[in-house]
Parts: sequence; structure tokens; C-alpha cells
Amino acid sequence: MAIVEFENVTRLYRSGEHELRALDDVSFTLEAGKFVVILGPSGAGKSTLLNLLGGLDSPTSGTIRVSGRDISTLSGKELADYRAAAVGFVFQFYNLIPTLTVYENVELVSEICPKALDAKEILEEVGLGDHLRNFPSELSGGEQQRVSIARALAKNPDILLCDEPTGALDSETGAMVLALLLGMARKSGKTIVVVTHNQNIAKMADVVIRVKNGKIRSIEEQAEPLSAEEVEW
Amino acid sequence: MLLRKFFRTAWSYKAQVLSMVIMIMLGVGVFLGFNMEWYTIEQDTSRFFADTLYADYRIYSETGFTTEELEKIRAIPGVEAATRFLSVNLDLADDSGRSLALDVSENFTVSAFVVTSGAPYDEESGGIWLSDKFAEANGFALGDTLRLRYQGAEISGEVVGLIKSGEHMICLADANQVMPDYRTFGFAYISPKKLISALDFAFYPQINVRSSLTKEEVEKAVGEALGYTAMVVSKEEHAVYKEAQGEATEGKTMGSVLPVLFLVIAILTMVTTKHRIAVNEKLQIGTLKALGFHNGRILRHYAAYGFGIGLLGTALGVALGYWLCSLVMSEDGMMGTYFDMPDWSLWMPAFCPPLLAAIVALLTAVSWLSVREQLRGTAAEALRPYQPKKMKKSFFERGRGWERKRFAVKWNLRDIMRHKSRSAMTLLGVTGCMILLVGGLGMRDTMAGFLDMLDNDISNYTTKVNLVDGVDADAGIALSDELEGDWVYQSGISLDGDTVVLEVYDNARDHIRILDEKNRPIRMEDGGVYLCLRLKDRAAIGETITFSPYGSEEKYTAKVLGYHRSVMTESVAMTKACADSLGIPYGVSAVYTDRSAREIGSDARISGTQDQQQLMDSFRSFTSIMDSMVLILVLAAIVLGVVVLYNLGVLSYIERSRELATLKVLGFRDRKLGSLLISQNVWLSVLGVVVGLPAGVGVLQWLLMALAGEYELKLMLGPTTYCVSVLLTFGVSLAVGLLVARKSRKIDMVEALKGAE
Repeated sequence: MAIVEFENVTRLYRSGEHELRALDDVSFTLEAGKFVVILGPSGAGKSTLLNLLGGLDSPTSGTIRVSGRDISTLSGKELADYRAAAVGFVFQFYNLIPTLTVYENVELVSEICPKALDAKEILEEVGLGDHLRNFPSELSGGEQQRVSIARALAKNPDILLCDEPTGALDSETGAMVLALLLGMARKSGKTIVVVTHNQNIAKMADVVIRVKNGKIRSIEEQAEPLSAEEVEW
Repeated sequence: MLLRKFFRTAWSYKAQVLSMVIMIMLGVGVFLGFNMEWYTIEQDTSRFFADTLYADYRIYSETGFTTEELEKIRAIPGVEAATRFLSVNLDLADDSGRSLALDVSENFTVSAFVVTSGAPYDEESGGIWLSDKFAEANGFALGDTLRLRYQGAEISGEVVGLIKSGEHMICLADANQVMPDYRTFGFAYISPKKLISALDFAFYPQINVRSSLTKEEVEKAVGEALGYTAMVVSKEEHAVYKEAQGEATEGKTMGSVLPVLFLVIAILTMVTTKHRIAVNEKLQIGTLKALGFHNGRILRHYAAYGFGIGLLGTALGVALGYWLCSLVMSEDGMMGTYFDMPDWSLWMPAFCPPLLAAIVALLTAVSWLSVREQLRGTAAEALRPYQPKKMKKSFFERGRGWERKRFAVKWNLRDIMRHKSRSAMTLLGVTGCMILLVGGLGMRDTMAGFLDMLDNDISNYTTKVNLVDGVDADAGIALSDELEGDWVYQSGISLDGDTVVLEVYDNARDHIRILDEKNRPIRMEDGGVYLCLRLKDRAAIGETITFSPYGSEEKYTAKVLGYHRSVMTESVAMTKACADSLGIPYGVSAVYTDRSAREIGSDARISGTQDQQQLMDSFRSFTSIMDSMVLILVLAAIVLGVVVLYNLGVLSYIERSRELATLKVLGFRDRKLGSLLISQNVWLSVLGVVVGLPAGVGVLQWLLMALAGEYELKLMLGPTTYCVSVLLTFGVSLAVGLLVARKSRKIDMVEALKGAE
């Protein structure tokens, strides 16, 4: 069953007389429960694609459906509700709230998400049960990213969106984080969309979408993706 | 190229730059305005006193001085000039109720005047030199004839000159009038020759002296020269000089509290803002360093912002200060109705220019130090993004209920603790705003309460009848009985070396009342005296005081029975029976009656009459000056609140934009983000109000104590003042909070999430 459908999606950015076509008539579908990697060089349009899918931005033209719901025409408030309920974000620089503890950063989502999961249980699952009362600044980068993953999963979303989730980590920590991300998502049947320029991560994906100059160059399904441990970092 | 960057960077921080310029302008302007006011009073009045040969000492004799006695005084070493002098309040002969003080300076070497139009002083002239303000208010012109009534006789003459005099720079009929009213009272001079030709005799109850001797030296020398103790009043004790000095002291007192608070808030807020901007500019600073710019050049570049903003703000502040001062100190300004003097030049105290330079230097140094902090270490270190302080658990979190607190509460409390200087500045801004509002509006309430007390609690008469000097007790009491009035005798006494007023009352008909400390009417007992509140520290109830009337060797000792609230004078009050039992000689100075001025006919014992309504009007016009000052303070408080809160609110927003963007991405609605921002403002405002309210009352109490030398004001704060102060402070805080919260709608989630914190 298709959980994500992009139909002739175009996103233009205008600056004075200049016009930048960040996404140009893009169409594709993604099946639920898959691990999808969107791969491409800088400026290819992969972040724009993630932003549109995450409800951070709206397309100039075309239709985006998530779980059958058209999100391309939603108002600001409706998009906020969509982000609160349907998608979980994992950022390159973690984006934790520095003034909240580890537990509170995850518990935070219960303020906006009625189906939020128990923060403590999730943090124990990501191996941070002993750091509940720590502030983000007291954790390593890998630990902070694990809090970020726990926060994204605590919403119990349909889709996890990850923007260069290992970009700020060393390769060993990055591999551990990816293994955790993948393991937890697979266990709960979530769809994961990772945007990256790291070719190695693509080896772990069920589906690899290659983007260049705002267009989709290829969509490749991998029958036997590698595990994080199997990938040579 | 760096110059272009200078202007473009300034433009990118336009809200902060503008608010810093406004804050410095307001801080400097209000500080300078208030301090220029008292200094200008000191300078302009002292110049005017010098120009009109204002007397340093006045020697009084109820029986008058002879020419021989004058010569003895002139012969005292250290006396530069002396003249016999007469100043007597006379009614105009047209029964219009107008009166004026007629002065004669026998040899015109002391207590003279300056001519604004018409003929110069001529001791041979039979003309009258009239106050130009009285002439203007009453339609008199040069060449008109002025007729005055003096003890049944008439003095008339042609107005030959229009004048101003230091002796009447504050032209008041008596101690009960607080504001000049030239429609009803003025002054005039005639020559000694004219006095003799009109009355056939010359009576001079005063010798006015110019001398640099101390009061003790003059008293001793005069006693030795005349052979008896005469009442000597120094210029510091003379109403006009004392009032002018009082105004300057009052201005100095006001200038040393509220404007200083204003300036400190402005500077501290600017310091915080400059530091935060330097932090925001860290990457740019690092980039310039990495490109090869020397630290010195980068420091000069960024310090130029502090210098430029400080210089511009200070320059505008100086202009604002001059403008504010001119609102008060100009012929058409607030003091123009109080002081009558020819020159209204504005003066800046000597400490101000170095202080202003120090402010600019301080702001430049703050920029310099903030940037130097970001430049520390290698270029690579300078290029690293700013690392905010690590979070630590605050004392709030030690309580049991912390875990159960809502996210917004935790977030805001920790943000306040994390950004202590910013939060402290916001708190200081709100507190300052509250202090200014409570102080300003409270002063207005207090003055209104003072007027109300005077109008309703003390005064229960229609007309005050002033008696000529020298009327004995029997004649005065007889007049009082004729008019069915109460009477008072006022005379100078020496109490512990200070000149205070002895007041003997007979107020059996309840036309004039004596109030206690709590403004309740008291019936004075006959067994002792009542000290005014300003003399409270001289003796406790039950103790005794010893005093000596001027012109007498006698000393009297009396028991203190209580304290009373005196309107203007520092006084010791007693009943007629008490004065009789102590054997104190007294006369009658004034009678308070319910008869109207028109019903009271001409009488040799009467020097003039004053309608109670006129007296109250003069008080009201005095308080209208206070109202204008209060309005300036209230407006300044609101502007201060808006600028400080907006500036710090925007800084807070910028610093938290990444967190806000994260929350927005997570699905928080704009409304919720806005309420997060506003709630912190509201908390700090509540705290600011809680701190500012008692602090405002404390500052007001302090001001009233500092002003106690002039008036015995009882602190009064009406419910309206509390409500208006709290509502205005909250209103400002909420309005600014909403303004900042609106920005959360424009958060660019994508942009804000790029890069690491």
C-alpha cells in the first residue's frame, strides 16, 4: 500500500527576477514500512523533497498525498497538526531543546500528540534510561541523536523523516545510530525516509531514490539491503 | 569595504540599533533635563540676585531704624553695603481686591531692581516703578497713575518704569501663598523722597545688608553696634532665596533618583544588547580573522558600533535634555509662572560633559570587550559557532512539584535561568517602569491630598485678613471679634540656633484648624507647645524646648504636648492661653473670617485681604507644574518600558529562534509558540510589578522626606495610581509581548534548523 504519493510536484523559489526550480515535476510513490534513502549531491533538491513531505513547506504545483490525505493544500494550522501527528523528524544537528532534560525533550511531544508513547520506555529502548535527568549539553553527539530518535518515535508517527542523521557524527557512532534507527523502525513497522549524500547509507535501504537538479534520476529497489554492521563505513 | 559592512550590519540589526539609540537618548535626555533644571535655577537666580543687589541679611526692628543706626551697621567691618528698607503690602485704592508690596530702598545700594522698560531709578523721582508682570496682568502701562491705600492715607503716582526685582523674584503676598498670581498681587518701588512726600514721615523697619560675613558674625556685630539683639534673617532664611534654593534642591533630589535609575537601565540594557549582538556576530568575526584581518582592526570595526550608537544617542539625548529643561525653565515654561526674572539661559552642570563622554567611552568599551571575547584563541576557534552555557539544574528544580510542572513552565523557567543577564535586564526594565509610574503618579496623589487637606481639613474660612506690622494684641483681637474670626500671631524665634516660626492661635471659632500627624484635627491644649513634624526630632512628647523671640533677650521654656502638620513653615504652635501663661508677648498677624473681602471695610489695622479661593488657586497652579513633570515621567516610563522590553524580547526571540523552529517542526502551532514567548514576559512583569510597587512607594517616601524641608507632605497613593501603574506596566509588557510573539508566525523552519547551535 502506498503511504506517500508525489504527483507532478514542482517547487519554485523566486528571488527578484531569478527563479530557482528546486523540484521539477517530480512523481513517485513509497510503500509503507520501507526504509527509503533519498540520495543526491548538494543542491539536488533532496532537502526540498523532505521539507515538502514533512509539511515544512508546500509545493508550487502538484499533489502530495500521505496515507491518502492531500497535504499540498493544507493551511498553516493544518500542516502543524499534520506534523504533530503523522511525521517524526530526526535532524542532522539533533535540535534538542537545551533547557529541557532528556526525558522532558521526549515527553514534550505529549503536549501536541494525543497518541504519544511513554517517553521513559522509549528512552530505555534507545539505551538512555540512565540519562533521563541529564541535559542535552551533558551528552555526547551520538547520545543526543538517540534522544532525537526517541523523540521522533515517541509521537508514534506513520513516517520518520531523517535529514542527514549521521552528518554530525563520526562513522562508528553514525553506524550505531543508524542501526538503532533501523531496528526500532522495523520493529514498529514505520516508514523511514532518510535524506543523505552518503552512498554507504544507501546500501542499507529498501528503496534508493537518486535526485539531481530537482528531478528524480532513478528509483531503485534493493531486494537484499545490508545491515549497518555489514556496511563498510 | 569594512565601512560598507559597518552600515549593512547596522541595518541588519536596525531594531536593536534603533532601540539602543532611543534608550541612550532617553536615559541621557531625562538625566540631563532634570539635572539641568536645578543647575539652571541655581545659575539664573544667583545671577539675577547679584544684578539686583539682593540682600544677604535683613535686620528687623518693629519700631523702625534711624539713620544713625544705619550708619552703625554700615560701619561694621565686612559689611559692603546697607540700606534702610521698607516693604509693605498695600491694596490698590480702587477696591478691586488687588494688592502689591510697596518697597523703598533708601540708598538703593541693596535690594534694587532692573528696569525692563521706562525710566531708570531716580531717587528724586515721584514716580512708581511697577512690576512688569503685574502691569501686564492688570493692563497698566507707562504713564498710567497708580493709587495705593496705606493706613487710611493714599500713595499715588505715575508709573515711570516697569521692573523686575530679586526681592520679589517669587512674588508671594505671604507665607500661605505658594504661587504668584499677578492678577491679584505684585510689587512696586518708590523713592524715599516719594515716601516722605506721601506720608510726611519715613518708617523703615528693615536694614538690608550685603556682606560675606556669617550669620553668627553679623548677629554679634549688629548686637554690639545697636546695643540690643535685633532679629537677623539671612538670605538662606528669606522666603524668595529659600524658595529658589528649595526648587533647586527639589530638582537635585528628583534628579538624583529617577533620572539616574533611567540612565542606569538604559546603559545596562545597551550593555546586554551589545554583548548579545557580538555573540550573534561570532561567525562573521571569526571569518574576518580567518581572512587575515588583525584583531585590532576587527576590534576597531566592531567598537565603532558602540561608539557610533553611544555618540548618536548621547547627542540626541543632549538635545532632548535641553528641550525638557526648556519646558520647565523658560519664561513660557512651567517655572515661568513661578520665577519672575529676565534671563532664562539654560545651564548644564559641570559634571555632565565628562559624564556624557564617560557614557560614550563605556559603550565603546563594552563593544570592544564583547568582541574581544569572541576573538580569543586561534582563527579556527573564532570560527566555531558560539557555545551557549551548559545547563545546570536550578534551585527551582529542587522542589517536589517540579516534575509535574507543564512544559511551558519548565521551558521558560530554565530559559530565564540560562539567560540571567537578559532576564535581569527585562526585570529591571519593568521594575524601573513601575517605580517611575508609582513615583510620578504617587507624587501627584500626594500633592492632591495635600491640597485637599489644606482646602477641607485646615481652612474653614472665606477670607484671610492680613494685619499691618505692629498692631498690638488688643487691637488685633478686637478686629478679630468684629469679624467673628480666628486669629494667629506669627513671629520669628530662635530654636537651637535655627530660625523657626512661633505661631500663637486663637481658633475657638474653628475657622482655622490644627492637624495631627494623621491629618486629624486636634484641639490644642494650653499647657505646652506643638512642634511641626519637621521639628519632631528636636524633642519628644513630654520633653521641653527652649526658644528665644528675635529682638528679645528673653528665653522661654515650654513642654512639648504633641506634633502638628504645618503647611509651609517650620513652626512651633501654641494657644493664646499658653502664650499668656508663659508671658510671651504677641500681637495679631492675621484674622481668618467667613466675611467676604468686600464686606470688610477699610481699616488702618488691615494691610490686605486674601480670598481663600485665591489661595487655593495659587496652590493649584503650583501643582499643575508638578502634573506636567509627572506627565513627562509617565511618558518616559512608558517609552522606557516599551523600548527595553521590545529590545530584550527581540533578543530573546532571536536566541530562541532555533528552539522555536524545532517546536514548530514538531507540530506546535504559532499560537502556542506565541503564548510561550508572552508567558515569560508576563512572569517577569508580575515579578517586576511585585518588586516595583513597594520600590516605587519607597522611592516616593524617600523623595517626600528629601522634600520635607519645604513641605510636610503625607504620602498618599490612591487606588487609581495602583491600578493605572499596574495596568500600564502590564499593558506595555503584554503589548510588546504580542508584538514579539507575532514574529513566531514568520519563523522559517528550514532556515532555522540549518547549522548547529
